[in-house]
Amino acid sequence: MLALKSWDINLRSREKKTLRSFLLLYAFLALLILAFVAFLYYGLERDLMLQNQRETLSNLTNEQIARLKSLHVNFEKDQNFPRDERFNSAIYDSSLKQIFSTLSTKKINLYEDIYLKNDHIYFIKELESYYLGARYIVLEVNAPISWDKKVYRKLLLYGSVIFGILVVIGYFLLSLLLRPMQDTIALLDRFIKDTTHELNTPVNTILSNIEMIDLASLDDTLLKKIKRITIASKTISNLYDDLTYLVFSHQILSQDVDVDVDLGELIQERLEYFTLLFESKKIELSVNLTEGIHLIIDRKKMAKLIDNILSNAIKYNKIGGTIAVRLVDHCIEIKDSGRGIEKSKINQVFERYSRFDRSVGGFGIGLSIVASIAKEYALHVKIDSIQKEGTTVRISW
Amino acid sequence: MVKKVLLSLLLITTCLYAKTGIYEKNCIPCHEDMAVKIDKFFYRYLLKYSSEMEVKSAMTKYLKNPKAENSILADGLITRFGVKKKSTLNDEQLQEALDTYWEQYKVFDKLK
Repeated sequence: MLALKSWDINLRSREKKTLRSFLLLYAFLALLILAFVAFLYYGLERDLMLQNQRETLSNLTNEQIARLKSLHVNFEKDQNFPRDERFNSAIYDSSLKQIFSTLSTKKINLYEDIYLKNDHIYFIKELESYYLGARYIVLEVNAPISWDKKVYRKLLLYGSVIFGILVVIGYFLLSLLLRPMQDTIALLDRFIKDTTHELNTPVNTILSNIEMIDLASLDDTLLKKIKRITIASKTISNLYDDLTYLVFSHQILSQDVDVDVDLGELIQERLEYFTLLFESKKIELSVNLTEGIHLIIDRKKMAKLIDNILSNAIKYNKIGGTIAVRLVDHCIEIKDSGRGIEKSKINQVFERYSRFDRSVGGFGIGLSIVASIAKEYALHVKIDSIQKEGTTVRISW
Repeated sequence: MVKKVLLSLLLITTCLYAKTGIYEKNCIPCHEDMAVKIDKFFYRYLLKYSSEMEVKSAMTKYLKNPKAENSILADGLITRFGVKKKSTLNDEQLQEALDTYWEQYKVFDKLK
C-alpha cells in the first residue's frame, strides 16, 4: 500500500495511463488463457459424459436396427416406423438423404460418432445391411440432467483461484516494472532539491543588495543595468519559489493559514512585481479589476498561482504583445497574445515537466503548481488557446 | 363438341401410353412368371446399395451385362434360375424403366 501511495504522487497521468493499459492487457491475456483452458476442460468433461452414455446408446441402436430389419422384411404389410419412448431416431441413405425421422432437429452431423447439441445427445451408427435403404441410423436422447452445472461450478471455482493468483503475480510484476521509473523520478526530485537548496542564499543576497541601492543617485545606463539584474533575480526567485513548493511537498511556501484575501489588491501587487518584466518585453497591459472581491485562501499560494500564470503569459508572449487581466465576481481571467498551445496538448499542460516550447527557459513545473493549488482550494482552471493568437486562462470558483 | 372429342382422345392416349410404359412392357411380363416377385429384387438392391443413385446404377450395370457375380441373388437361387439375358433396351429406355421401378417401390414417403 505504501508503494501505491507514493506512485500516486510521483506518477503522472500518462504513466498512469500506461499502467492502466498494462493491467488491462495483462488481465485480458490472463482471461483469454483461462478461457482457453476452461474450453478444453469443458470439452474433456463433455467427452467423458458422452463416453459414459455410449454403451447404453449402442444397445438401444441395436434394438432399433433389429426392428428396422423386421420392417424391411415385412414392408409390404407394415409401413409403421418403429418408435420407442426412450429415444427419437432417424434413418438416412448413403447419399445422406433423410428416409424418415422423429428427431427434434433436422440438422444432423452424420460424420460424427456421438455428440452433444442443445441438451440432446446424438449417436450415429452406420448399418452393415441397409434395411429400408438406411445406411445411417441416428438416435437422439436427452443429456443427463444438469451434468454441466457441476462442470461450470468447478470451472468458476478453479478459474477464480487461478485468476486471483495471476493478479497477485501481475501486481509484483508491475512493481518490478515500475522501479526504474520511480528511481528516475526520485533522482530528478533529489537533484532539484539539492539545486534549490544551493540557490537560496545567493538569490536572497542579490535581491536584498539591489533593494539597498539608492536608484535616484544612478545614471541612466547603470539604472538600466540594475533593472535587468532585478528582472533576472526576480525570475530566479520565482523559480526558486516554484521548486521549493514542489520539492518540499508544498510546506515551505504555505503557512497553512487561510485568510480573507482581497483579490484585486493581490493581483495589483503581483502586476507591480512583474512591472519590469512587462517593460522589458514592451507588453501592453490592460487591467480591469472589480473591487471588493474576496476569497478565503492562503495568500502566498494564491500569489504563487497568479505569478505562474502571469509569468507564462509574459514568457510566451511576443515583444510588444498584450496581456489583459480581468477580475470579476468568481472569476479571474488572464489573456495573452502569445504563441498559444496546440489543442491536443492542452490537457497535458498541467503535468509536471511537460513543456511544449523549448525556445524559452523553464522546467515545465509552473502550471503543475497552478493545478495543484487549484485542486487544494477547489478552483477551476480552464485554458482556451488558439495557436499563434494567444491563450486565455480562467480561474473560477 | 370437337374440343371435347379431342380432349377425351388425348386422355385415352395418355392412359394407354402410361399402361404400356417401358417398365410395364419389358420388365413385368417376365417377372410375373417368376417364383421371386419383382418387389423382392427391389428390397434386396435397397439392402445392398441404400441410395437411389447407387441402386439405379447397380441395376443398370447388371441389366446391361448380367453375370452371376454381379447378381444380388443368393448363390442357390442363381444356380437354380440362372442369369437373365442381356437387356435389349437402350440407355434411355433402361433409365426410364428403372425410374418407374424406383417410384413404385421406394421407401420414401411410405413410412408412417
